Amino acid sequence: MTEGRRTALSLARLGITDGDAAETLTRLGWWRNGRVRRDAEPTLWALSRAPDPDLALRSLARLGHAIGDGWVELDGLMRRDPGVRGRLLGVLGSSTVLGDHLVANPQRWHALASPEAAGPNWADRAAQRLLFAVGADTTSPDSAVPNRATLTGVTAQRALRVTYRDLITELAAADLGAVVEPELPVAPFEQVGAALAQLAAGVLRAALAVGMAEVTPDGRPPRLAVIGMGKCGGAELNYVSDVDVIFVGGSEDELGAATKLASAMMRVASVCFEVDAALRPEGKAGALVRTLQGHLAYYRRWAKTWEFQALLKARPVAGDAEIGAEYMEAVGPMVWTAADRENFVSEVQAMRRRVAAYVPAELVDRELKLGHGGLRDVEFAVQLMQLVHGRTDESLRVAPTVSALAALGEGGYVGRDDAANLAASYRFLRLLEHRLQLQKLRRTHLLPADDDTAAWRWLARAAGMRPDGRHDALEVLRIEHTRQSHRARRLHQKLFYRPLLEAVARVPTEVYRLTESAAKARLAALGYASPQGALGHLRALTDGVSRRAAIQSALLPVLLEFLADTPDPDRGLAAYRRVSEALDETPWYLRLLRDEGAVAQRLMALLGTSRMVADLLVRAPEALQLLTDPEEMAGRDPAEVAMSLHSTACRYHDLGAAVTAARALRRYELFRIACADLLGLLDVDAVCLALSSVWTAVLSAALDVALRAEIDRRQAEPARIAVIAMGRLGGAELGYNSDADVLFVCEAVAGPDETAAVRFASSVAESVRNLLGSPTQDPPLVVDTGLRPEGRSGPLVRTLSSYQAYYTQWAQPWEAQALLRANPVAGDMELGKRFISMIDPVRYPAGGLSARQATEIRRIKARVDSERLPRGADPTTHTKLGRGGLADVEWTIQLLQLQHAHEVPALRTPSTTIALRAAADAGLLAAADAEVLLAAWKLVTRTRNVLSLVRGKQVDQLPTSGRELTAVARALGHSADNDPGQVVDAYRRITRRARAIVERSFGA
Amino acid sequence: MDRQQEFVLRTLEERDIRFVRLWFTDVLGYLKSVSVAPAELEGAFADGIGFDGSAIQGFARAYESDMIAKPDPVTFQVLPWENPKGDHYSARMFCDITMPDGSPSWADPRHVLTRTLSRAAEAGFTCYVHPEIEFYLLRDLPDNGSEPVPADSGGYFDQASHDVAPHFRRHTIEALEQVGISVEFSHHEGAPGQQEIDLRYADALTMADNIMTFRYVVKEVAITQGVRASFMPKPYTNHPGSAMHTHMSLFEGDRNAFHDDDEPYELSDTGRAFVAGVLAHAREITAVTNQWVNSYKRLIIGGEAPTAVCWGHRNRSALVRVPMYSPGKASSRRVEIRTPDSACNPYLAYAVILAAGLRGVQQGYQLPPPAEDDVWSLSERERRAAGYAPLPQNLSEALVEMENSELVAETLGEHVFDFFLRNKRAEWDNYRRHVTAYELSTYLPVL
Repeated sequence: MTEGRRTALSLARLGITDGDAAETLTRLGWWRNGRVRRDAEPTLWALSRAPDPDLALRSLARLGHAIGDGWVELDGLMRRDPGVRGRLLGVLGSSTVLGDHLVANPQRWHALASPEAAGPNWADRAAQRLLFAVGADTTSPDSAVPNRATLTGVTAQRALRVTYRDLITELAAADLGAVVEPELPVAPFEQVGAALAQLAAGVLRAALAVGMAEVTPDGRPPRLAVIGMGKCGGAELNYVSDVDVIFVGGSEDELGAATKLASAMMRVASVCFEVDAALRPEGKAGALVRTLQGHLAYYRRWAKTWEFQALLKARPVAGDAEIGAEYMEAVGPMVWTAADRENFVSEVQAMRRRVAAYVPAELVDRELKLGHGGLRDVEFAVQLMQLVHGRTDESLRVAPTVSALAALGEGGYVGRDDAANLAASYRFLRLLEHRLQLQKLRRTHLLPADDDTAAWRWLARAAGMRPDGRHDALEVLRIEHTRQSHRARRLHQKLFYRPLLEAVARVPTEVYRLTESAAKARLAALGYASPQGALGHLRALTDGVSRRAAIQSALLPVLLEFLADTPDPDRGLAAYRRVSEALDETPWYLRLLRDEGAVAQRLMALLGTSRMVADLLVRAPEALQLLTDPEEMAGRDPAEVAMSLHSTACRYHDLGAAVTAARALRRYELFRIACADLLGLLDVDAVCLALSSVWTAVLSAALDVALRAEIDRRQAEPARIAVIAMGRLGGAELGYNSDADVLFVCEAVAGPDETAAVRFASSVAESVRNLLGSPTQDPPLVVDTGLRPEGRSGPLVRTLSSYQAYYTQWAQPWEAQALLRANPVAGDMELGKRFISMIDPVRYPAGGLSARQATEIRRIKARVDSERLPRGADPTTHTKLGRGGLADVEWTIQLLQLQHAHEVPALRTPSTTIALRAAADAGLLAAADAEVLLAAWKLVTRTRNVLSLVRGKQVDQLPTSGRELTAVARALGHSADNDPGQVVDAYRRITRRARAIVERSFGA
Repeated sequence: MDRQQEFVLRTLEERDIRFVRLWFTDVLGYLKSVSVAPAELEGAFADGIGFDGSAIQGFARAYESDMIAKPDPVTFQVLPWENPKGDHYSARMFCDITMPDGSPSWADPRHVLTRTLSRAAEAGFTCYVHPEIEFYLLRDLPDNGSEPVPADSGGYFDQASHDVAPHFRRHTIEALEQVGISVEFSHHEGAPGQQEIDLRYADALTMADNIMTFRYVVKEVAITQGVRASFMPKPYTNHPGSAMHTHMSLFEGDRNAFHDDDEPYELSDTGRAFVAGVLAHAREITAVTNQWVNSYKRLIIGGEAPTAVCWGHRNRSALVRVPMYSPGKASSRRVEIRTPDSACNPYLAYAVILAAGLRGVQQGYQLPPPAEDDVWSLSERERRAAGYAPLPQNLSEALVEMENSELVAETLGEHVFDFFLRNKRAEWDNYRRHVTAYELSTYLPVL
């Protein structure tokens, strides 16, 4: 009874849930009267450790049935020998397909009885068995002696397939034995990958032997070498994978026969796996077989960088050994000079983007191979470093990824701990891949869906996860997978860059470290135009033993990676150094970058594109916090910003302090707008509106404090003052570096003493101009009053009645035109409104313009076109005065406004875009024409804004080549893969169309 | 240094070639050449040769004029001219033009054609062409406005009637073969002194390079024979002009996309749409295919040249001809564009023709019925009734058509488009103010 309770090993405890399991176990002789037979206990415990015990039991029952009397022998062996039960139950519990194979070929289990497949020489012998299976001479598989099979056609294929399955089963059994019986040796991933590659090579050799028998049954077969590529060449194959090959023929006249032979080989081998020859020169369009010379001619002349990268893994695996060796000898040196090729850097960058872009969003968490830090990403990074540094260091010239990583660590090209850790994560992810593929022998890199608990449990056990007391195997796997894939991602990100910092460290922390010249080579390969300068910045940033230097060292590898994707990494790094030095004493600065990965990424993107952002940030460090929340950054209401700026500045009684406060808030706001603009969060209208709003707020604050100071000084307020915005400010269409065109208007408060009023108002206006115009490093705040009556020779401020007198008596057509965008923005708004009512009859003249007046405006425009465009400037890319530029579009709509605003009230607006739409609505412009003008105006305005951001100052001319154009292209949202010349072409196209309409409508 | 570059350098050494001409083409189609000594060539391969783009027609303005010519070693050919010892003394390579940052120059006509070809490639097509190039062989090239004297008085298909340069065609063909240009066919044309040489088909870019080389070789051979060659579109009032009829076909992989056994004339839907495209845009692209004031003297009734937008089979008066011979030979199905003259810029001309045809294919243009009658013999009203739009009558009209063409702007790129229009308008203005011999002889006696 007590014994009964002790051994009451229930099926549930064994993890067996199938309803008829007890019956099955009874039939197998392991179960009697509702309890386990004692001598079968170890077997049952082993069964319970199989990845899927139910599956293992079902397959075992089918196997038992199939072998009939043989069961006694198998059962006995399993009870006695942990190796036998481990291997057999491991396979049966992991793979339905391999289980089926054993049932269909019931005597094959004998092969699992010995631990041979885990041994070192097994794969060689296995390859021999494949040759033997098709009746080929196995004594000299590599010799030039014809090595024909005796079997051909379907018979040969069937034999090859069965033998290959046998061998895979044996290998899988050795691989999985330790999962079921923990004391069995664990087969390392490298060993399994290499064995699989050797099996594949064996299949190729056997298939080649069959091909020879089919293509040249007698006579001398053509010489043909099969070069293994990819994971087959690299001796790190998966259980299920295409096998990449390249064929090399003997001489030109053998090529016909050799091509037949190669096709035959591919066909025969296809019963085991797909043979893919697409890596050959010219890919699928190229000849299947080429001579050695043919290959070399291609690689010398045509090959792209990725093809050399593929050649890293090349290894002769079958066929004529002599040709194979010659091929390797000839091609090898080319691989190691690929990094000297002219387009290496740009091609590598394009390849990097392609690798990274390959993420199907809904599967991103389940992907083992693709995605950031996935298997392919790691492999790519390792291969790139091999290409760059293998030029000078032969120790890096090894094929398997894990060995290459180790060599990179030994050589100091990758931190040694990083190399070891990354290799461990890589092994883990590959192990999961192997297990997933074994299940149904399908080529997959996809983890089970999140809610598929059964599949996850199975995978966890197949991967050898053990419950750790707090978590069951499934949870352990999930935790481990998350940890390993994060680590791979993190390490991958730093892989290129961390050693660069070691190279510049004054206190060496690693014995093996990158030499300075290797560091420069790497920086150049990553797109830095001046590696020397970049190393200098790195040295400055990480110099010393402070905590700050330590954090920088930890941060920089990732930052450098982000910078490498920007149009100008060199300048970005220099800007980052400036910002870091400026914020040296700011405690949260580095912490923010370290803890908020997205902030760091955005900041690098901005610094590598925009000089203005860098300049602003140095003096507005607190603005960096804005980058934490892009939504909020874009969402700030310009009116609120303006209000708070105004009230903050007005709190200061000292004039200088008030303006300094206003400037600081403006800087912050400019930074916000610039970032939101560059990150694509604000459209051009919103940008212009926000820029106009902040300028207005600064102006209004300055006016109010200057007014207050003047009143304090005089102890009187003899005049009211209003500021009328003109030009771009009036239309709320300001750019980053636009001046503010304004008029000052005043009115005596009491009595007719206009002279005193004007004197008072003039000193206020003067003070505003001087306060704002004093030089600083910020984008300047120039108050331009040049549009006032009589221009620069006229008084700075006039009374309302003086303006009225002037405009009614003297106004030129161009002055009426300038008034179109007049808009009161600061000071006494009531006075401003009266100013506007006063000028309305001037700018919207009743009856429109006379023919003479219209002609006058056209003539002025023609003169402006020919005189004001700088000498040698290209009118097709000049944003302000060029063909279809701002002036063209604005003069066109302004002429229409002068002519028709008296009858079309909708035209009475300072805004260019609103006026254009109104003109279209009123039928003054064809709707399609208005669209073209709008599109051009917006593109040109946007281009000017972007130019300001990139250059840090106002430039009128769109550059037509170079890094600045690249930066403009990226900031305008063009892909880095495109020729930046397309931006110029598109700009010229859109403005040309606008110009055609201007010519028609304006009559220019 | 890649293998082909090494090959070039070694060849220069072994054959004792003293200088290498680096060739490129300006926007107007003039061949430009810069000679370098073999010692400098290595540097030229690595960094290109810098030059002042503002000195080349249409390349750049003064303030951003630095440009780079990068020799393409694949185009290396030893030129057939010999020094007195019998050695070859020069070789040539075509160049791609780039900006100082290495990105392609949008002013380079070769790049214009490359872009159009890659657009065709995106649609799955490669474009093959073969031109029939006509030119005059003259005793000299008078520059005082007098009529030149032809080098012979032969007629169509006449043999050995060259008085002055009896072996001209043989020498020319040999020279062309030596620089790797295969000749299909050559004969004497209808007018005294007029020759025609047909080149074996090649892809459009190679052919454009070949045409540039061809013009140079022909002129040089003529000089060695004591005569002169001219590709001027229409040197004689009373003899036909020099055309460059161009046969075009599109291939999808190995298959001729213009061929279809089941369609009339074995011209596939793609082929029909291509022709429809060329016709629909014919007026816009004429300024490019016929770019000189003089070009329009050739496009007149009775001048053996098309004057109206139409197509036909045997019809030599049509703008596009679908030749009928070699029935059933799928790969040779092609269409013949008869507008271009021998003085066009082949890169730009092929680019706009191809772009027009592709537009037809991609937007499924419908081909109007063929013109069966001889367009030249119809009255203007009959032509209008038949719906044949006239080609522009002079350069000015052609420029107006081109100016309004988004297709041409897109194909040439805005830079070339803008320069071309400005330059050609200036050419027209210069011409317009010139008083011609015709006016003097017609008006002076009577007015």
